[in-house]
Amino acid sequence: MDVSAMIPELLSALPLTLAITFTAIIAGFCLALLATTLRVRRVPVISHLADLYVSYARSVPVVLQLFVAFYGLPLLVVLFGSEDFFSPTIAAMVALSFYHGGYLSEVMRPAYLAVDRGQHDAADSLGYTFRQKIARVVGPQAVHFALPGYGNSIIYLIHNVALVMYIGAADVMATAHLIMQRDYNQYQFETYLVLAVIYALMCLIAWLIVRFFELRSPMQAPEATTKAQIKNALIASA
Amino acid sequence: MFDTDILLQDSREILGAVPVTLAMAFTTFVLSTIVGSLFALVEYRRIPVLRELVFAYKVVFKGVPMVIVIFLAYFGLPPALQFLLSSAGINFNAHETPNWVILVLAVTGCVAAFQAEIIKGALNAFDIGQSDAAYSLGYTSGQLFRRVLFPQVALTAIPDLTTSMMVIMKALSLGFAIEVVDIFAQSQLTAALNFYYLEAFVIAVVIYMVIAYIVTQIADRLEQALRVRT
Repeated sequence: MDVSAMIPELLSALPLTLAITFTAIIAGFCLALLATTLRVRRVPVISHLADLYVSYARSVPVVLQLFVAFYGLPLLVVLFGSEDFFSPTIAAMVALSFYHGGYLSEVMRPAYLAVDRGQHDAADSLGYTFRQKIARVVGPQAVHFALPGYGNSIIYLIHNVALVMYIGAADVMATAHLIMQRDYNQYQFETYLVLAVIYALMCLIAWLIVRFFELRSPMQAPEATTKAQIKNALIASA
Repeated sequence: MFDTDILLQDSREILGAVPVTLAMAFTTFVLSTIVGSLFALVEYRRIPVLRELVFAYKVVFKGVPMVIVIFLAYFGLPPALQFLLSSAGINFNAHETPNWVILVLAVTGCVAAFQAEIIKGALNAFDIGQSDAAYSLGYTSGQLFRRVLFPQVALTAIPDLTTSMMVIMKALSLGFAIEVVDIFAQSQLTAALNFYYLEAFVIAVVIYMVIAYIVTQIADRLEQALRVRT
């Protein structure tokens, strides 16, 4: 059993996994901003739709969301009269963006609400518009509350990217299955152990990045803003 | 295209898998809460060596995706169990362990790491002054736990425990990879017979959302009923 030969082959599929992850992170963030704004501002019907979307993203298993996107999106596209262009990869990107957006919205909304009520009132009384209020007063404080939850949601996203092989995207998991079958399924346990290490490392890196920003936040530790201090704090907290 | 005639027939079949899924979810929930409480206790009491072990456990099980843990358990648990049992001199074929047991154990292992966090948070929210007060009134530590600590900690933990119940429900859907039939796997099987994939999956989505709604409602009612009115 040669692990060292297996790792480069597994890593060759990593770009696809990362591409799906980053697409979901960026698109999901935009979706979450939109959903949170709609839910916070309480527009009659649209807010309820946003609520429904968030509960769909949070209460339905991710595998099921992937399958719904994989079978449902082509129908939707044909309905609007264009060509069916959905490969498994694109379906996975769309499904995970929606999942991540819904999950993240439930991180952002509590963070927004956790900002002291008086801060909202003060900004309103000074005549700030909604956008100015978010950008200058509430936003910076909410970011501080949201960061730990954001880190968690990124880690969950990385976990769930491991599921895209079920709709046929050729990611790291799918490559691992190919490798196992080539070895006549003798080394399944070992291959999964290697996979576990790869995913754990990805999560560790994501966690370290988020943690770095958490510690840099001036509300967290006003004194620890130089680089050396942040590094020390990172090591101490790990 | 989306066919509405098939919905009724399909949903009857898929609903048949709901009791099994709920039973598995409940078992997993109870087991993982017990394990998580033990972990939380270790961290709360700061027991030297065990504390580092719990930390390592949490790092591992939070970093590894649940599918991989399930597959590892599927391939690793029966041989390990066989080895343990045969070295203990018990004659039992562990390779015949039913798949749902393996699934429940794997999900328990993953969720316990998160449950530990929840229960630790609830324990930390407990006011130390109350335990001082209870001791000064001559409570034994058993009485303190039963009459003062547990009711408050359980109440604080209810919202997060509801979330983890939903996490478990969702995690069980990964069992289709090792041939355990829950709501999702049943919808896949139904769809594979008549090729109405989207219809079956939409039914499953609705069932999951309804279950989530019911569980949340029950938890909210429970929390309101138990909260001490001031």
